[in-house]
Amino acid sequence: MAMPVLATKLFIPRLRSRAVPRPRLVERLREGLHSGRKLTLISAPAGFGKTTLLSEWIADARRRDPQLRVAWLSLDEGDNDPSRFLTYLVGALQRADPALGSESLTLSPASIEPALTGLINDVAQSPAEIILVLDDFQLIEEKTIRDALVFFLDHLPSNLHLAVASRSDPLLPVARLRAGGELTELRAADLRFTPDEAAAFLSQMAGLELSPEDVAALESRTEGWIAGLQLAALSMRDRSDVSGFIRGFTGSNRFVIDYLAEEVLQRQPEQVREFLLRTAILDRLSGSLCEAVTGQAGGSDVLESLERDNLFLVPLDDGRQWYRYHHLFADVLRARLLRDRPDLVPTLHRRASEWHERNDLPEEAVTHALAAADFARAARVIEGSVPAVRKSRQDATLLRWLTLLPEEVIDRRPVLGVYRAWSSLVSGDVEAIEPRLRVAERALAATTDDGAPGHDSADSEELRTLPVTIAVYRAAAAQARGKVVGMKEHAERALALTQPDDHLGRGAAAGFLGLASWTTGDLESGLRAFGEVRSSLRLAGNLADVLATTIVLADMLVPLGRLREAQRAYEQALQLAAEQGDPPPQSTADLHVGISELLRERGELPAAAEHLAASEALGEQASSSEKRHRRFVAMARIRQTEGDFDAALDLLGTAEGLYRRGFFPEVRPIAAIRARIWIEQGRLAEALAWVTGQGLSVNEDLTYLREFGHITLARLLIAQQRADPRGSIQAATGLLDRLLVAAEAGGRTGSANEILILQALAQEAQGRIPSALPPLHRALSLAEPEGYLRLFADEGAPMTALLDAAADAGILPDYVRRLGRALRQTDVDRASLPGIPEALSERESHVLRLLATELSGPQIASELYVSLNTLRTHTRHIFAKLGVNSRPAAVTRAAELGLIQRRV
Amino acid sequence: MTEVDWYEIRLRGQLDGSWSDWFGGFTLTSESDGTTTLTGPVIDQAALHGLLRRVGNLGVTLISVNILRS
Repeated sequence: MAMPVLATKLFIPRLRSRAVPRPRLVERLREGLHSGRKLTLISAPAGFGKTTLLSEWIADARRRDPQLRVAWLSLDEGDNDPSRFLTYLVGALQRADPALGSESLTLSPASIEPALTGLINDVAQSPAEIILVLDDFQLIEEKTIRDALVFFLDHLPSNLHLAVASRSDPLLPVARLRAGGELTELRAADLRFTPDEAAAFLSQMAGLELSPEDVAALESRTEGWIAGLQLAALSMRDRSDVSGFIRGFTGSNRFVIDYLAEEVLQRQPEQVREFLLRTAILDRLSGSLCEAVTGQAGGSDVLESLERDNLFLVPLDDGRQWYRYHHLFADVLRARLLRDRPDLVPTLHRRASEWHERNDLPEEAVTHALAAADFARAARVIEGSVPAVRKSRQDATLLRWLTLLPEEVIDRRPVLGVYRAWSSLVSGDVEAIEPRLRVAERALAATTDDGAPGHDSADSEELRTLPVTIAVYRAAAAQARGKVVGMKEHAERALALTQPDDHLGRGAAAGFLGLASWTTGDLESGLRAFGEVRSSLRLAGNLADVLATTIVLADMLVPLGRLREAQRAYEQALQLAAEQGDPPPQSTADLHVGISELLRERGELPAAAEHLAASEALGEQASSSEKRHRRFVAMARIRQTEGDFDAALDLLGTAEGLYRRGFFPEVRPIAAIRARIWIEQGRLAEALAWVTGQGLSVNEDLTYLREFGHITLARLLIAQQRADPRGSIQAATGLLDRLLVAAEAGGRTGSANEILILQALAQEAQGRIPSALPPLHRALSLAEPEGYLRLFADEGAPMTALLDAAADAGILPDYVRRLGRALRQTDVDRASLPGIPEALSERESHVLRLLATELSGPQIASELYVSLNTLRTHTRHIFAKLGVNSRPAAVTRAAELGLIQRRV
Repeated sequence: MTEVDWYEIRLRGQLDGSWSDWFGGFTLTSESDGTTTLTGPVIDQAALHGLLRRVGNLGVTLISVNILRS
């Protein structure tokens, strides 16, 4: 069971019949919506009729456009949990259009943006025009949510209009929107009742017959504050001496609401007054809940009569089930309760907590238990709702609860104690984890004299598997500290402790075991461990994670040189995903990217590109945030193969922007791929700067995590040898020899293939073809059964020379012929690329960038400190190289070629 | 122990002492000019902002906030 979604929060308040129509304000709101402004902001203190005005506007807008859809979300303090906020946001939007926010909407609490992006795309595709109302926005203080809403506003689809009502100005970019004409704004000065509206309210709505002087006096005393006028009207109802009341009220200095609430309450029968005070602690009221809290029968009847009497009771649904007090009125009642019956407050909260617990509303049960300072009860309810909270990923809620409980209460509950340790893991307080786990472990082991458990945790699945959880968190802590050995030991212990049917526990333990093996380059063990993870997840019915684990397995199969097995794994996973139908499970898009990379290696570039297109079409919901960059890396590799290096580098830039450090070791860093492209482009100085910055050297100890970087270094050294044959290749060959030993020791045939090829190229760079043939022969023999192609074919002219020599020597003739064909085809393809025949010099590139500006010729010359004549020479060369004969044509052509940024 | 700052908050209109509990135990004083002064200790800025939010939620007009150095 996940945490319940309260329908009352999504209820669109109906327009009350007794509300004064406010055409002047509705007109302004309508105009704002009509002119396509992004945001409507109603910012004013409590009691100025914000919600009522929104209801009136919504009713009016729907009358004019029956197709218009409305999503309404009444916020509360609990919505500061990003997961909860997003759940309700999606829930509200689904009321407007059920197709919005697909099921695959999952999020990590740290990043709400990817989920929002999916939602924004959904909304943009919806045929409906939607108004999204966020009421009581002042309650949102969580920065991640505000940031997410700023992002939302910046990417707001044109068919969505956002309306925010708040008691204080929200931390949204209000000034920017105002300056850009994107904001419709109503403030207290706009919302106050005008004298005419006050008169209309008092006579027509409240049915009072007052003299113009009395109306003016009331309007002036309340300053048009609507809640004040409403309370005044209530105080005057059925009163014989209305003028006396008005004299008393207007002559008093007491604060309006204090004076009037007292008046209104005094005029209620004792029983009603007691009811109001006792139920004031409730944020939402139902008949049954009120009965439980007051101990009196007839709760629904009282609520209905309060609504009839207009006693600030707001219906929260159409069925007269749930109500709330107007916030202002509730505040007054609560202050009165604190003053008159402070002794009663804990009891009322405890009763409310009990009722909510009975009715499966754990959040409210906890809130009221905490308000009653009944920590034992709060802790019990929290512990019971841990599985549901975690399943709903409302981690922030759980963490907040834990901070509100006294330490000693948690100390006696090992289940909560372990989550307290987990909370330090989440917040990055690595040092606190172990002491907290020890406390939980001691509590778990404690027994009373008669052998009963010596702790307070109830017997539950969570409690029974707690030793496993503790060991898993220890493994996680070890990982956070970068202690691979410790991670492995704790993971092994966790695995040993699990019951055969504890699939999630087994999966988690095996996962850390696999990570340890992966990190150290023992990929065979890593495969075994993640194979176990995958079967455990499958047994636990967690399909999305089964698919994600397939990618992990393939990531290890590739360096092992088992491409065919990796491809089969991807194909099976895609089949499994397809069987799920719509919406496609998360990770489906990532599977397409994985299979695309394998197809590219096999030389099937069109098929590889098709899978990337399929991945893109599936959208971000079908991709996990830690994998999202990989599509762009895969596309960059295709562009690199095609010889379009600039496009490849651009794509890598995009990939870097999307990159999120996940759980898994980064064995193929984006920056290293970029350095390899630089090497291919001949930009050796830049590649060298990267290598130096990484501290990569030929003599250091080799680890698997740095293998890709070291191979990149070897490539750089060989390229330097070609550029300047006077140097020595010794450093490269020594490094490659050591890399080969390490790769073979780890059984990493895939890595070994590339290293062997580089050994051959290192010899070729010195013109020693015969010495190059033995490593090339080995690489060819290992690579042929797995269908490697681009590994050889991307190496260009030196590889052509080597393959010719291999053909002469009669080495694997079929495979060598096939590779040779692929190489020649690559040359043909690259020649037809719309490139420039001759590269621009650095000086010419600079001139070109200036040509794209508004600067005149003489200005450019002075900018460059050259004579006009010199500038003309540069310009002539540029025109010749670009095949154009005018400055505008040069700029256009340069932009097409990606040499300069196209100006917007 | 760190020194706790005392604050004086002035509101328009008169609120009697019965609101003291609501305002976290602050002392409420009605001034002759029709304003009310809240005086009390504030442990930190978060507490101060929480208190000001309570003032705002009631729709009371805030006139001034002053720190009283002991």
